[in-house]
Amino acid sequence: MKWIDFKAGFRDFWNEFKRVKFGLFGLILLFIFILVILINPYIVPFPEASSRWRDITYWEDNPVSAPPIWVNWFSSIQRAPSLIIEEHTFSEEKMGKIKLSRAIFEYDYPYDLPPLDIIFHGYTKGSPVIMLSIERPDGHIIELVRRPISKSDGKKVRVSIGKDSRIESYNFGTKFENLEGNRIEREIVKPTSILFSEAKEGILVYPAPLRGTYKIIAEIILPSKNDVVEDIYFTLSGSVSGWLGTDSSKRDIWSGVVAGVKWALLIGLLTALTAVSIGVTYGVMSAYLGGWKDSLMQRVFELFLGVPLLPVLIVMSAIFKPNIWIMILMMSCFFWVGPVKTVRSMGLQIKEETYIEAAHALGASSSRIIFKHMIPILIPYAFASMALYVPRAIVYEASISLLGLGDSTIVTWGQILHDALTGGAVLNGLWWWVIPPGLFIALMGMTFAFIGFAMDKILHPKLRTR
Amino acid sequence: MYWKYCIKRIVYGLAIFITLIFIFSALFNTTMESTLRSQIEEEIRGETLKLDTRMTPEEITHYIAERREFKRHLYHLDKPIWSRIVWRAINVLSLDFGKATIMRSSSGEADVWTIIAECLPRTVLLFTTAIFINIVLGLWLGLRKAQKAGGLMDKTTSIGTMIVYGMPSWWLGMLVIMFFAYTIKIFPSGGLHSVPPPTGFAYYIDLLHHMTLPVLTLVLIGFWGSAFLIRNIMLSILQEDYIMAARTRGIPERKVLYGHAMRTAAPPIVTMALLSLLASVGGNIIFEGIFSWPGLGNLYWIAIEQNDIPVLMGNLFITTALYIGGLVILDLIYGFLDPRIKVGGKQ
Repeated sequence: MKWIDFKAGFRDFWNEFKRVKFGLFGLILLFIFILVILINPYIVPFPEASSRWRDITYWEDNPVSAPPIWVNWFSSIQRAPSLIIEEHTFSEEKMGKIKLSRAIFEYDYPYDLPPLDIIFHGYTKGSPVIMLSIERPDGHIIELVRRPISKSDGKKVRVSIGKDSRIESYNFGTKFENLEGNRIEREIVKPTSILFSEAKEGILVYPAPLRGTYKIIAEIILPSKNDVVEDIYFTLSGSVSGWLGTDSSKRDIWSGVVAGVKWALLIGLLTALTAVSIGVTYGVMSAYLGGWKDSLMQRVFELFLGVPLLPVLIVMSAIFKPNIWIMILMMSCFFWVGPVKTVRSMGLQIKEETYIEAAHALGASSSRIIFKHMIPILIPYAFASMALYVPRAIVYEASISLLGLGDSTIVTWGQILHDALTGGAVLNGLWWWVIPPGLFIALMGMTFAFIGFAMDKILHPKLRTR
Repeated sequence: MYWKYCIKRIVYGLAIFITLIFIFSALFNTTMESTLRSQIEEEIRGETLKLDTRMTPEEITHYIAERREFKRHLYHLDKPIWSRIVWRAINVLSLDFGKATIMRSSSGEADVWTIIAECLPRTVLLFTTAIFINIVLGLWLGLRKAQKAGGLMDKTTSIGTMIVYGMPSWWLGMLVIMFFAYTIKIFPSGGLHSVPPPTGFAYYIDLLHHMTLPVLTLVLIGFWGSAFLIRNIMLSILQEDYIMAARTRGIPERKVLYGHAMRTAAPPIVTMALLSLLASVGGNIIFEGIFSWPGLGNLYWIAIEQNDIPVLMGNLFITTALYIGGLVILDLIYGFLDPRIKVGGKQ
């Protein structure tokens, strides 16, 4: 079969394929998935999610187990989203040798539920002192944190108001709260919930939100000339965060799920390609060679057919702890049996065709006949079954990952679901952690099912597999 | 001739099973032996603690060495590698899977076979129930689809088949639990029965109550596929000449469908039912872990969590046996239903 024949064959096939609507829909979905991989860095807030999924410092500014931001659209309670504030007014004062610089950040707060934390970031040199305070819309100014920085040649400083201002904010709250009878532990009350609440009785127990513009003030004392504080900004870990929320380790789920797309496609396509190639070659060889070779190959095939796939894969993963490439290889080693039976029966038919006989008479070798004359005819069938193997491979990998046996250097949807299961997401109703990864597995499976079933439908009259 | 065919199939299945056991033994030999070695050391340490305190250190060292030698000999660890593999395979074939390192059966026994034998019926119960409901629903829907092939319902339900094609059952299980067990709280989140289990008739009600969610999940995922397959089977039969002949004879449509078409469709449908049961064993089994249904699938979870290698291996052997047994039974039933095979084909 020449390249031109192949092209013509493909064009015919495409013309038929175009007529199957759900097949086209599947192709569009596949195209979207590929597009998502290509534009990955531009659509996620954490583009390094794939390589730093298990690096806790990468995620530390995020809130813990926060729902997605769009829950605000459907809820009467408005929650403050995560935010980075960089814009600020800056002023400097000189008092002898000491320099005092002041940066004021404005934060508009029209919500009902406060952010979980406010975090100061900056790059410091020398030994400055950082003082953080907040000016509320009602005029109260609360001094929150006073943090001297130990001498250094330059490092990134991170000050969390939520963690370091428990005493200050609590003291502010107790000024208004009548604490007789019911004593409220300091550890129970969140600092941000005091800071963003009306200064009246109940501020600790039933806080009412105080809406308006807040000023977060960072005052920095620079004792000597060489001291520097630059690149200051605040991050707010909101009570809602990102398109798909965060998990209990503060990871952004949307970034993780998008990072999983490329791994799922890789696992699915590579496994299906390897397995079907092996299976088709094996089936055709078995059919063409015939005789005792055929019998032997059929016995080996039956042996593989008797293997319960998932249990064997689980035990092998548990014992050999494979990385993702070995896992793909392992799956290919068992998946190839699928097309063998059909291919062999088709090969037996093709073998009897006159042109095969002619090729044989011309002295063509067995390998030439198999690879040049027989396998090309089976290519459409091979593609159809390949498309239907992709979802299976993805689900098997996800199942193994769900048991915690996945490759820990990458992030796949199965691993996110494993974390969700062990992190109590089902128990605590963290639906944004459970639904998206599985939905993506299902969507990816659906994509290839559409494509595969469409191809099947075209090949149906000639080559029925069911 | 049917019994000849039967014997041939059974011998075949046994041969495949034995070969697989040998392959598994060879593949996992190193891990199994390192577990065995640490178990031996553990036992010897236990024995030395009970020893007479008046023994000298030399005597104790000598004793330990002697016991170690004895146990190594007992477990064939002093033999060459191929004989160890053969010995292990033979052990497995005689259902001797050794002792679990950590896990215990409900009666407190460490014997791996006891632990697995306890779980086996529960897995069978769950999956057969689900497949049975699957087939009933699939028949109902598939027949309707085949009667009006290409119609609106046929098309929409076929799309449904494709939508659930790559959906992991355990994920749907997680969602179902989240909704039915934690949000509206009408079903338990998992387990076989309440603690403590009720007695008498109430026990079965309780069991059903606990089974509802897992079965519901399996049916929700499964019946689309069976409906689609049954539709294809029925569609090809309904196009046969004898169906048209029956219709032209004026036989009512119901009778044509259930009397004529179903009779021909029975063998492939039975095959399909058994195949989907096997597919559950081969690909769906860890689903049990989500519902903490204490069957074989859940055993994989626990064995991996506690790193109990003997249980893991024993479980694998039993699952393989079940799987191959299923394949053989499938062939036998198919041969029974299809007279062409019964007669013996080529003769």
